[in-house]
Amino acid sequence: MDTEQLPPVAAAEQLAHEGEAAKGTPAATGIPGRERGERIRTAIAYVVMFGVAALFFIPFLWSVSTSFRTLADTVAGFSLLPKHWTLSGYREAFHTFNFGQYTLNSFIIAGAITISNLFLASLGGYAFARLKFPGREALFLLVLGTLMIPDQLRLVPIYLMLVNWIPSWVAHLGWHNASFINRNGVIGIQLVSAASLFLMRQYFLTIPRDLEEAAKLDGAGYFKTYRKVMLPLAGPAIAAVTILTFQGAWNGLFWAAILLQDKSQYTIPIGLANFHFAYQTLWPPLMAASVLAILPVLVLFIIFQRYFVAGVAASGVKG
Amino acid sequence: MAVAVAKRRQTRGLGNERVREALVGYGFIALPMAFFLLFFIVPVGYAVYISRYDWQIFKGPYVGFGNYRHLWHDSVFWTHAVRNTLVFTAFVVPLEVALGLALAVVVNQGIRFRGFFRAAFYFPSLAASAAIASIAIYILASDGLFNTVLNHLGYHHNNAWFTQESTALPSIIGLNAWTTSGTIMIFYLAGLQAIPTDVYEAAAIDGAGAWRTFWKVTFPLLKPAHFFVLVTSVIGALQMFDQAFLIGGASGGPNYSTMTMVLYLYNQSIKNISFGYGAAIGVVLFLFLFTVTLIQRLLFGKPEVA
Repeated sequence: MDTEQLPPVAAAEQLAHEGEAAKGTPAATGIPGRERGERIRTAIAYVVMFGVAALFFIPFLWSVSTSFRTLADTVAGFSLLPKHWTLSGYREAFHTFNFGQYTLNSFIIAGAITISNLFLASLGGYAFARLKFPGREALFLLVLGTLMIPDQLRLVPIYLMLVNWIPSWVAHLGWHNASFINRNGVIGIQLVSAASLFLMRQYFLTIPRDLEEAAKLDGAGYFKTYRKVMLPLAGPAIAAVTILTFQGAWNGLFWAAILLQDKSQYTIPIGLANFHFAYQTLWPPLMAASVLAILPVLVLFIIFQRYFVAGVAASGVKG
Repeated sequence: MAVAVAKRRQTRGLGNERVREALVGYGFIALPMAFFLLFFIVPVGYAVYISRYDWQIFKGPYVGFGNYRHLWHDSVFWTHAVRNTLVFTAFVVPLEVALGLALAVVVNQGIRFRGFFRAAFYFPSLAASAAIASIAIYILASDGLFNTVLNHLGYHHNNAWFTQESTALPSIIGLNAWTTSGTIMIFYLAGLQAIPTDVYEAAAIDGAGAWRTFWKVTFPLLKPAHFFVLVTSVIGALQMFDQAFLIGGASGGPNYSTMTMVLYLYNQSIKNISFGYGAAIGVVLFLFLFTVTLIQRLLFGKPEVA
């Protein structure tokens, strides 16, 4: 009991000493205790897991259930499943409340950001991993340094840069600055991230050099080596960058809230945020739109689960 | 044969080849570097510049540290935004770290459906915050699922949790702890898997029970993971924006009870169109976060998992 108060390291040392003292006790008494301990531990683990899993799932299941209800059903007292199954929540979300357009916008924004990240991060990652040029390490440190610059500091300057610095000929192409920055702004400021670049570089560093040298002997240039040798070998890193970038861009709220002023360019998250303030308790379409917002990431996650976890661990470890 | 040819070629054009490689290298990183320069490095300087002007819709007169002085006397910022953010951080960090660690330990055991449980616990961290917040608003509404359950348990509560001044922030704390615990679980899992199994065997031979083994062996050995998780979650909590914005709106309602520092920055810059003042808040927030990171580094060293 008194050992609870000790700092962890000291406690571990003491545990070692207790081990010394317990050396004389017959092994037979230790083993049943261990088995019982393990059984209890497993039992506790199961109880905790099912309990927490239920708690984690109920909100999602409840929202799916509500998305198939009629409005009257949502206020008619508690029932686990809809009393009358209907798709009207989805129809309203899609047509009346424009979530069809918002879904399309979300796909355009997340798709463009993902493709651009893949290209720029893999090309840059290859150069940082393999090509020798003066200042390489310093420049790479600079890239990592951008991780220290929080979005909050960038909010005002980036907003003003996008509004004021876009040359007037861009506006003359038929876009007004204000509407031009909306979707293009959200895409433009997320074209590549230090995390994607870092992930690609780290992965390229693990690829053995033999194959590149063979390509070099065959007279392949650097771009060809990148495209024909390195990219095909970087599957896991490409998968990790793809899903992490897509997920981040799809869910993105901060920059979307700042830059998307034009209603027709809203993404699902911004649509959801505004819907709740405008329509308060129209639950079925709100839940239908929430399901729409979650579904693509859920599908990605089910298919590519191990890349999600590996990617988070990799970018988290030294990021 | 081929090697010999290559060697000859290499020695002949070594200088050229090096220059070419360097030029190609610069070419490949040109676009990303230009991007980082334009959207990360330049904005830092520009933010400081903007913060020295009375800049509303258009650039106004130079005011020196006027915006910073204004912030120093801004009671909404101090008594609501800063206070709420600190309260939020103080409660959400221990909650989410404890929950994340517990989940990691549990799914690290050799039990059935382990993969499924890991996925289930991690998923709320991946789902869109806007969708999660909408679901939470629905469940915590006055006649929502949560109050229905409470009423069945004999505890009568008929107010919406997010619209009451006294319950709004605590509800957001609970919501955020739930959605972040999955990520923290993943970080801790990496740490747990780095612990060699013979340590546990030694503990088992010594007759240490599960509870004791956890506190005396596992917990101390997770030290690097603890540091990393603490640093990440404290910085994340101090930057909280999503749930506050989604639930309380840009004004942090009801009555500023969900106003956070970053939400206030958003409110001043985008809703109030006070760019000079917003930039000053951004600079102060950055310095604050930087100091917190520095203090944590000094106390714990560089954070690293395993």
